[in-house]
Amino acid sequence: MHIAALRPMPLRRPPVAALLAAAFALGIALLVPRAFSDPVSVDPFDIRLAMPSLALVAASVIWAPLTRCRAVLLGVAGIAVPFSLWAAMPRLMTLVFADRYSFNQRVFAADTAYMLATAAICVAATTLLPARSRPALRLRSISPLALGVAVAGTALLILAAFAIPAQLLGREGIEPAALGRDMPWLAPAYVLQAAAQEVQFRGLLLGALERDLPPWAANLGQASLFGVAHIAVQYEGPAGPFVPVTVVLGLVLGYITQRTRSLWPAIVIHAVLEVGVAVVILDGLYGQ
Amino acid sequence: MTGLRHGCAAACAPLLATLAMTLTANGAAAATPAPTPVATPAPTPNPHAGEAWWVPVGLRGQRITTVVASGDRIIAVAGGTRYTSIDGGATFTATAQAPRPSASCSLAALTGGSPTSPPDAEVAAGRDHWSLCAGRVLHADGPYPDAVPKIDLGSPNLGAGARLIAASAASPTVVVAISDDNTVWRRSGRGDWNRVLVLLPQNLVQGAPTVTAVTAFDQPLTDTIYLATDGYSVLISRDSGDDWIRAGPGLPDSVLALTSDSRAQAVYAGTGDGIWVHHLQPIPAAPAYLPDDLKWRQWGTALVTLLGSVAALVLLRRLVSAPPP
Repeated sequence: MHIAALRPMPLRRPPVAALLAAAFALGIALLVPRAFSDPVSVDPFDIRLAMPSLALVAASVIWAPLTRCRAVLLGVAGIAVPFSLWAAMPRLMTLVFADRYSFNQRVFAADTAYMLATAAICVAATTLLPARSRPALRLRSISPLALGVAVAGTALLILAAFAIPAQLLGREGIEPAALGRDMPWLAPAYVLQAAAQEVQFRGLLLGALERDLPPWAANLGQASLFGVAHIAVQYEGPAGPFVPVTVVLGLVLGYITQRTRSLWPAIVIHAVLEVGVAVVILDGLYGQ
Repeated sequence: MTGLRHGCAAACAPLLATLAMTLTANGAAAATPAPTPVATPAPTPNPHAGEAWWVPVGLRGQRITTVVASGDRIIAVAGGTRYTSIDGGATFTATAQAPRPSASCSLAALTGGSPTSPPDAEVAAGRDHWSLCAGRVLHADGPYPDAVPKIDLGSPNLGAGARLIAASAASPTVVVAISDDNTVWRRSGRGDWNRVLVLLPQNLVQGAPTVTAVTAFDQPLTDTIYLATDGYSVLISRDSGDDWIRAGPGLPDSVLALTSDSRAQAVYAGTGDGIWVHHLQPIPAAPAYLPDDLKWRQWGTALVTLLGSVAALVLLRRLVSAPPP
């Protein structure tokens, strides 16, 4: 075999290279420590995800050949860094304020910080990046089509949730007393969380990938990372089966965003999904 | 044996009587109406640590509609036949099932102190005795008929068909009862009643499954409430009914009977596929490391993260700067 065959294939599209490299770094940081420890205990704030993503952004700032990767790498950092902050926030509040705030209030604070950190990275992306590589966030567009898709998508989501066997989803009951206790804080928290994730994946990342890739490839790229990212959230439990589901969900929400040219339908559908999960899905022994 | 009577006062009465007689005759722990509180067990190693959450006991393939247990003695009913085991479920012997009494409770007679009108269901939790009669929840400071029960103020009318009630000895003033429309109600320690669980339809065609049993330990081992359903297996609540957890991994979806046995520190489930047992064990949790143990794991994680980042940078550089073929 000729030695040239072993060389990496050159990628004429730097965003693809950036996404592959970021996924490689995050995958190693996320999965390899599971071989010798339980990362939930060892790294509860998922700092091992924030650090590589920031290192890649820094490299793209310092090293000129990576300039065209910067938007995508910033999009990935816009996912990982707020996630670390979100994971750390409840414990930080306990350290600073002891038991002054309830668990639900700490969750609300964590999701507020998650949204604010995402917004800060959006501001950085839309002001610091060169005009030609700035991601299109699609937050200013609300068309009748977008409104219709938001309503229809929400209705379809609810129908699907009741069509799928309850045991498969854990959609087994509603806890009225617990909901009355939790929802005043958790419902707005989950809406913020959904909005932040849509801004991260279908805003920053999809918008950055679309600058250099055809729409379908950009959508596939963000959806793949969206699916794999759920391993970080859910790996305490049997997360494997959920990854394909979240990839498909990411593809659908990305497609909706591209067709309606608005991020709002995806935000509405995702928010209803997050709140719905909190309302109708009972926890399992290993968490949700 | 009031602790075994959760929700099956009429159906289980013959079994309970049999169990009480055989236990006493064999010199085993007497089945007394009022349980004696025991101290919380010392923190000895749990012999069932690492065991599956539910473990099959016996009578696989049988549809078990009633189960009661105390120590190694288990009595179950399947298809009109009563099965008895005296060896913890290793073997069962079959006998004909006695006919069940069908009389329903008279509220006036019960609150009037008539011994001819037993409650529809009764449960003891410490000194508190809770019972169901004609859909109402009654409270007494002792077992019936020694203490005359009174309607618990603020309790809802659960419907004439209500037969399921449970209270944990660890929280004797907290009561969980099921109305005949399948709603789970909870009496808090303050005495107010609230709906705490409404089961949802299984899909667009099938309705919500029926709650078939509810139980808790009659000794202060844990304040967990166990709820059986004919479709959603077993649910548990560890905070007096506010929050419910799906706790049936491995268990068939159809659970028709449930009983707790403080002596064995176990919960037995009668299912569409035999009898299963859950031994008390902690909820699965992430391991907690000692500081020294944690330190090298953190260094290891940091090293992996660093190497992964460097490798990603090298990969990115090669991908971007490699000359075209």
